[in-house]
Amino acid sequence: MAEGSLSDLRIVDLTQGIAGPYCTKLFSSLGAEVIKVEPPDGDVSRKFGPFPDDEPDPEKSGLFLHLNTGKKSVTLDLKADAGRSLLEKLLAEADVLVEGDGQTSMAELGLAHDDLKGDLPNLVYVSVTAFGCTGPYKDYRGNSLTAMAMSTIMYNTGDPDREPLTTGGTPADYIAGIHAWIGALAALAYRAEHGNGQHVDVSLAEAAACADEYNAGMYAFQGAIRRRYYSRHVFGYPMDIMSCKDGYVVVVPGAAGFPQRGLTQDGAVSSMALLMEDPELDQHPLFQSGQERMIRWKEVNELIQPFLDTKEAKDIVEFAQALRMPFAPVPTVKDLVEDEHLQARGYFQEIDHPEAGELTYAGPPFRMTETPPSISRAPTLGEHNGEFDA
Amino acid sequence: MPKPLEGVRVMDLTQVFAGPACTRILADLGADVIRMESPNRLDITRNLIHTDNDGQDVPWERALYFTIRNAGKREIVVDLAQERGREILRDIVAQSDVVAESFTPRVMRAFELDYGHLKQVKPDIIMISLSGYGQDGPYSDWSAYGMGLEPSSGVSQLTGYKDGPPMRSGLSFTDPYSGFLGAGAVLAALHYKRRTGKGQYIDLSEQEAAVPMTGAALMDYAMNQRLPTRIGDRSPWAAPQGCYRCAGDDNWIVISIESDEDWAAFCDATGHSDWAADDRFSSLEGRQQHHDRLDELISGWIKTQDHYQAFHHLQKAGVIAAPVLSGKGALLDPHFKERGQYDIVDQPHNGKRLVGRHLAAKFDEFEASAAGPAPTLGQHNQEVLGGLLGISDEELKELEEQRVITTEPALPVPGPIVSAALKLPYDAFLENGTLQAIDDDYLQQLGLE
Repeated sequence: MAEGSLSDLRIVDLTQGIAGPYCTKLFSSLGAEVIKVEPPDGDVSRKFGPFPDDEPDPEKSGLFLHLNTGKKSVTLDLKADAGRSLLEKLLAEADVLVEGDGQTSMAELGLAHDDLKGDLPNLVYVSVTAFGCTGPYKDYRGNSLTAMAMSTIMYNTGDPDREPLTTGGTPADYIAGIHAWIGALAALAYRAEHGNGQHVDVSLAEAAACADEYNAGMYAFQGAIRRRYYSRHVFGYPMDIMSCKDGYVVVVPGAAGFPQRGLTQDGAVSSMALLMEDPELDQHPLFQSGQERMIRWKEVNELIQPFLDTKEAKDIVEFAQALRMPFAPVPTVKDLVEDEHLQARGYFQEIDHPEAGELTYAGPPFRMTETPPSISRAPTLGEHNGEFDA
Repeated sequence: MPKPLEGVRVMDLTQVFAGPACTRILADLGADVIRMESPNRLDITRNLIHTDNDGQDVPWERALYFTIRNAGKREIVVDLAQERGREILRDIVAQSDVVAESFTPRVMRAFELDYGHLKQVKPDIIMISLSGYGQDGPYSDWSAYGMGLEPSSGVSQLTGYKDGPPMRSGLSFTDPYSGFLGAGAVLAALHYKRRTGKGQYIDLSEQEAAVPMTGAALMDYAMNQRLPTRIGDRSPWAAPQGCYRCAGDDNWIVISIESDEDWAAFCDATGHSDWAADDRFSSLEGRQQHHDRLDELISGWIKTQDHYQAFHHLQKAGVIAAPVLSGKGALLDPHFKERGQYDIVDQPHNGKRLVGRHLAAKFDEFEASAAGPAPTLGQHNQEVLGGLLGISDEELKELEEQRVITTEPALPVPGPIVSAALKLPYDAFLENGTLQAIDDDYLQQLGLE
């Protein structure tokens, strides 16, 4: 197997749940040795499902198996002297420590960055927490939902007359995991130049706020407070999920979709009119004015929906794409696993596990030609204790 | 303080959101990022939402979206449709460490500027392509906008009100999401290059990048052939969990009870020993089963309270909670303010503005903050082409005459018509509720005036 881009690195991972484990999953996918230090009863995600037939089993948690691919598991009781001294031995050989399980105080254990940096000046010490290690909310608890609430994304997601809606898949956890990974790599680049390690402080709330496209921007540059309106963008319509004969499609006409003054050639028919097989639509006031479409969006829906109702999602998306409009599908996880494009790219992988058996896993999030990222099975609890015994 | 990527040069051909978010992080970490735009097709974010929505005479320099994403980069405007333009690009690549691009895959191949060609110019180049669906496979030539890619990754099927249709987030968050991953991928490739001297090519499909967020649902399907139902703001791992209306106009709080201890703390903090004593609510399973009733009780308790006060009150009792912030709310939040989530950038044609961080990490040794204002159109033509490539002033003038390079956009129609077309219908948005309000004194409120 080809070498990984980070295969010279050793990571000690004290995190649990989703955010920290996703950070270290990225490290293991790129070849780093990740030693996952679990409490004697395991990472809390081993208690979360999904489980086969809904029967809880710490070796069969779908969430745990997904997030801990390619890592080694060592169980340690950090409150006991033996566990503590073994951790110190692991850290002495480590490049990066990632911590943040939502419950343990590293300071109380005497394992805060300030406690360690004297003996381990080269260690990159990454903390992943709900609100960060400084500031007025530093001691507050949180999770992906609180981060999405702080991020401005949630305030702008959902229906105008209902409560703000969080996004599925706990995105703030994943975004924070990615930011912790970037932070560690940036600190390693700094170390390569200047020699010393440092503390890297990543909060879920700020990581999610970094994904704000323009909500804070609209206030900072315009004084405008954007509010949720069917999750709609302010700069065009339609750009939305709409129903069709057999499900849903994303209707995004894009730059070529409607006639544009000065851009569309005389006599040319717009892509939306071609899609709907009615060239006369280009004379319709709603086809001619982007502003009118945003204001009179209900009439736009009345114009488009009857056409969508007669067509299947796959046909609509393929025809629209042939007309250079960025329409998109709205797949379920089943649709994703069966998708011909993702199959052709070999994205999903069948991976066997001694307890959970063979299952389909999401592949690495990007490809690299020289050092291809790879996914291999998650460890059983304490599987590698023997390897790191005192 | 020195930043970690000082001395690293990035040739940035990306546009819109995902790619510029990737290279913005590299710039924040100290890289010299040189953007390239085409004289005939500006980055479309130069035409989206403008300062004060006023449609002034140079709208492309007053585009807030562009400004935020491209802070701290240099920029040249070069026509890649002309051979001399492509030659200029190859000459810069020869002096760069990283090339980033985000066209649909056929574009770079058509220009003969794909990895295979650029590697001949600079054998150890690291190149990243950020695209909607990746560089190969049946959908690789599909055009892609961010608003289609969150749904195409499967995330939108997990988002929505209970029993409602799938929904998108209120913005295209998988764009920055894949930009973040791309920045990390480049850092990993730079790490490998430090060790081995080898460059490589990175193919990042935004669809694939976002699929891992559906991990639990994918596993449930693999294990039980079951598809998830949409559950609004609830969670399989916490109950009660939800978003509740507080006092005032559209103020909300989220609350999440992850354990029996949390539930006891919540009942204590709300003064409701009757809830604590209610057997229906004594276990996670019970609280899930009676979630509708709990939502009624919590809504009744919290609806007259200030969302920030309730947030502090609950957190001090050990309960997970947070206010739901608008863009204004985030800019004014004391925690974000103290930790420097928004940098002040002095922007030509705009003045001092708050610009959001792109990398949340806070470092002991340096700040991953915006490295400066976003460039004006072709601002660094002379500096880069003259300074880096040594092109003479005389030739630069010729290149301008041939429109190989420029600082003036080619407009399809007269400027005032462009400006008028770019104004968004804010009066209508205020009426229907897309906008909650427009504060005339916003610069004062933000402490910038």
